[in-house]
Amino acid sequence: MTPDLAREILDLTAEHLVLVGVAMAIAVAVAIPAGILLTRRAPLQRWVIGFANVMQTVPSLALFGFLIPLPFIGGIGKHTAIVALVLYALLPVLRNTLTGILGVDPAVRESAVAMGMTGRQLLFEVELPLAARTILAGVRVATVTTIGTATIAAAIGGGGLGVFIFRGLASVDSTLILAGALPAALIALAADGGLGWVEKKFSPA
Amino acid sequence: MTPPVSFRNVSYRVGGKDILRDFSLDVAAGETIVLLGRSGSGKTTALKMVNALLRPSAGEVMVDGRPTTSWDPIRLRRRIGYVIQEAGLFPHVTVEGNVGLVPRLEGTPAAAIRTRVHALLDQVGLPPAQFAARYPRELSGGQRQRVGVARALAADPPLLLFDEPFGALDPVTRVELQRQFLELRRRLGKTAIFVTHDVREALLVATRIALLHEGRLAVLAAPADFLRARGEEARAFLACLDPQAAPP
Ligand SMILES: Nc1ncnc2c1ncn2[C@@H]1O[C@H](COP(=O)(O)OP(=O)(O)O)[C@@H](O)[C@H]1O
Ligand SMILES: [Mg+2]
Repeated sequence: MTPDLAREILDLTAEHLVLVGVAMAIAVAVAIPAGILLTRRAPLQRWVIGFANVMQTVPSLALFGFLIPLPFIGGIGKHTAIVALVLYALLPVLRNTLTGILGVDPAVRESAVAMGMTGRQLLFEVELPLAARTILAGVRVATVTTIGTATIAAAIGGGGLGVFIFRGLASVDSTLILAGALPAALIALAADGGLGWVEKKFSPA
Repeated sequence: MTPPVSFRNVSYRVGGKDILRDFSLDVAAGETIVLLGRSGSGKTTALKMVNALLRPSAGEVMVDGRPTTSWDPIRLRRRIGYVIQEAGLFPHVTVEGNVGLVPRLEGTPAAAIRTRVHALLDQVGLPPAQFAARYPRELSGGQRQRVGVARALAADPPLLLFDEPFGALDPVTRVELQRQFLELRRRLGKTAIFVTHDVREALLVATRIALLHEGRLAVLAAPADFLRARGEEARAFLACLDPQAAPP
């Protein structure tokens, strides 16, 4: 491996991590509060979960493509890639937030209310701690998926390890493809292991 | 003196079904009134109106002379202890944290909570040195139920509600906990409403028994008088006491 290639692997890995990190931060910041809100609005659940489901079924390359012509969020570059990654990451986090909170034993919830807990205390002291493990599992799945999907960002000028893969595909150079795919796989494995470890720190519901 | 709890012509309808019909009952200070009835007779529904988990469709439930609907529900609930079947303990919190919950919500200083929790655990027969740091999953059913009772007593509420608290326990443990209930009542003299479908338990713990049948009050009597009650539903329950005497 030439020093130039090694250097580029490091740069693109860093770029990849930024794409994934920013996308996941936004997805978590949107999906967890939205999931909490949805547990209080049963009729909305179908619609929102439906939307998130549809987002997941759009082939990722197509979704990136669809976003390009859109004003503000679209165009060529990183921010369009991040929007697409966020749309993909929303569903697992949202769904697990809902499942986790709705899965809290009704007897536990009822006794919390009967003890005189306020809505906020019920949420922060009972529902979220008991749902934490499930929510984190959603974050883990979303993160691992996003690490893979982010390789497509390169197709719309978003950078990241996908740059190698697309370059390798164009020049039929499997070393280049590996230079992109291998670090991406390693990051995914590390994220899976790390988040799985955090998950186990929380008590099962 | 205003009764601590008073049901006044309370009805509860849901989905076109009358679960409680024109139910009236005054609970006297210091007594243990038992709501007895088959499952589905409306006992839990009546109980949950006292701490405003449910609102009457008609009539009102008065607590200390004020309708529950005019209480701040949080204030109301923090002065009413509530014990349910399987205890409803928080699985992610230790025994000590579970028992100290309401005092903590009320802002009691940590040292005072600790003293109180340890005294209560002793009272319900769970030595704190052994049990305070455990999680609910590390307890037997009977021990969990004891923790549930300690939790309900923690903020020293004047009123206690019990919803089939010993229903899921084996017979031996159930008798132990019933004894302990009587012992605590003798010592604390609190007003209690106790729901059960077990006529023996009712006769043992009640100062008065209110028999519910299809959402109506069928009989209201002290245990000794309940044994002589004439209504069909009362006889059906009394027949459980003596299987030989039951009709074929
Ligand atoms: N939210 C509800 N919707 C419909 N039916 C209900 C609801 N809550 C209770 N019920 C019905 O009301 C009846 C009385 O319930 P409950 O008070 O729990 O009885 P008990 O505690 O005496 O067994 C039961 O038939 C139950 O199925
Ligand atoms: Mg019941």
